[in-house]
Amino acid sequence: MVEELLFFMEVLVGGLLAGTMYSLVALGFVLIFKASATFNFSQGAMVFFSVLAFCGFMQDFNIPFVLAFILAALLMVVVGLCTERFVLRPLMNASEDTVLMATIGLGYVLEGLAQAAWGVEVRRLDLGIGDFPVPWIADNLKLFISALDITAGLVAAIMIIGLFLLFKYTKIGLGLRAVADDAGAASSIGIPLKHIMLLVWSAAGVVALVAGCMWGARAGVQFALVDLALKALPVLIIGGFSSIPGAIIGGLIIGAVEKVLEVYIGPFFGGAIEGWAPYVLAIFFLLYRPEGLFGEKIIRRV
Amino acid sequence: MSTSTNILDIKNIEVTYDNVILALHDVSLKVPKGKVVALLGANGAGKSTTLKAVSTMLASERGKVTKGTIEYDGTLIEKQNPSQMVGLGMVQVLEGRRCFGHLTVEENIIAGAYSRKLSKGDINQELEKIYTYFIRLKERRKSQAAFTSGGEQQMIAVARAMMAKPKMLLLDEPTMGLAPQLVAEIFNIVKELNTKEGVSILLAEQNTNVALKNSDYGYIIETGRVMLDGTAKSLLSNDQVKELYLGISKKGRKNFRDVLKEESLTKKKIN
Repeated sequence: MVEELLFFMEVLVGGLLAGTMYSLVALGFVLIFKASATFNFSQGAMVFFSVLAFCGFMQDFNIPFVLAFILAALLMVVVGLCTERFVLRPLMNASEDTVLMATIGLGYVLEGLAQAAWGVEVRRLDLGIGDFPVPWIADNLKLFISALDITAGLVAAIMIIGLFLLFKYTKIGLGLRAVADDAGAASSIGIPLKHIMLLVWSAAGVVALVAGCMWGARAGVQFALVDLALKALPVLIIGGFSSIPGAIIGGLIIGAVEKVLEVYIGPFFGGAIEGWAPYVLAIFFLLYRPEGLFGEKIIRRV
Repeated sequence: MSTSTNILDIKNIEVTYDNVILALHDVSLKVPKGKVVALLGANGAGKSTTLKAVSTMLASERGKVTKGTIEYDGTLIEKQNPSQMVGLGMVQVLEGRRCFGHLTVEENIIAGAYSRKLSKGDINQELEKIYTYFIRLKERRKSQAAFTSGGEQQMIAVARAMMAKPKMLLLDEPTMGLAPQLVAEIFNIVKELNTKEGVSILLAEQNTNVALKNSDYGYIIETGRVMLDGTAKSLLSNDQVKELYLGISKKGRKNFRDVLKEESLTKKKIN
């Protein structure tokens, strides 16, 4: 009985921690959704592009880890800059659907550029953190939990606190929240939309890099990262598209639910339900709580 | 350049949307420094379009000034964008208040100072000054803006604009949908801002009576053309304005075009 409980705990904690990796990817989507009310389909490509560049800097140019990370982060700021100038600004007055289509196109461009620059083979990314159980926890709590999962959890926590402070207490954060509420009114009082766009796309790029590092360390840096990032979709449906805490909790829920279901119910379906179970959960949310757990409700004064 | 007494001088502008829809045919108007000017007319007459042409917000609605000139404070308005206009001291309060619903009242107002480089202390000082005009808002400073009343939201919108330290405010239907008492309150504040802060005001209104009583000068536009202008007093006592805009009507004529038609008919008869 105790062993069964321990096993359940292990599955749950492992799932929750793996969920933080989904949260990280979802975070990038939320940032852009807040500012431009568009689902950024190129987020997956940004994850792939950024982490491939990071690997490339380290492995092809022998640049040390920290410097390579900074360079990759700067590269993502440049990507944000170009996106604002060449994609978003010309589409300033276009409908949200048009912008959505543009992000799909942008995704293909980034995927192509990444592979043209750094090649198509799968790269190994060694963060110096193993994807194996931490001995101390295994000995003392009898739980087998991966060091990489724990790191991902910590990194996600730090990024969230950082973003929260940025939005709540800085001037540009206030500007971003104003634009998220009413871009027209924000521009009428002199908030420059292009600065805000630049900020969110750069921030989303850096978040993508961090998420890419975590995923890359686990699964290898490869093209499949683009599709993995789409797991953020059910995360966002559950958490709410415009909510940062929602992205976090949504990620945790998806991570935990898919692992628990996989282990306990999976065998009845012949396994591998991890792939689709989150989407089933998402459909239930769409039916019964379309704004998600934390999505901003449309406030209407009565 | 800016020796002229007019802070705003619009000359014969024509505005088209999407390169096809002609919204303004020929509008000319002047706002003298430190005065309140009312722009009056029914729905769709072109009031908002005129204001947006001035604040350059037209571009975001695919509108364009295709003829004529707009001169503000000695500068020709051509390719500026809204945030540059705010930098020059011209702020528009959009129709329908447009508060940031998820932000608190105070955050809304502080957002108005975005274009200015102010320290935290300066912002608080400015905030206190603004609250002396909008006492109601101070009491509600921590509430979420979406949950405040319509009158309060209008006050937030004006207070927010004032935080940008404008030389000129463009107010688009500030009293829309408000109870008469609140209409009076809003206009009192507007007058106060005008006299104490020296802000020049161009005001678009459908509420002709109240607007003229609180303005120095008025323009009446219909279907994109200025039909009549004059001092507020002269307009208030003008028979046609009384008939067409103040609801003291007997004959069922509804606008200046009807009046012109009748006049031309009677001319023909005489001839």
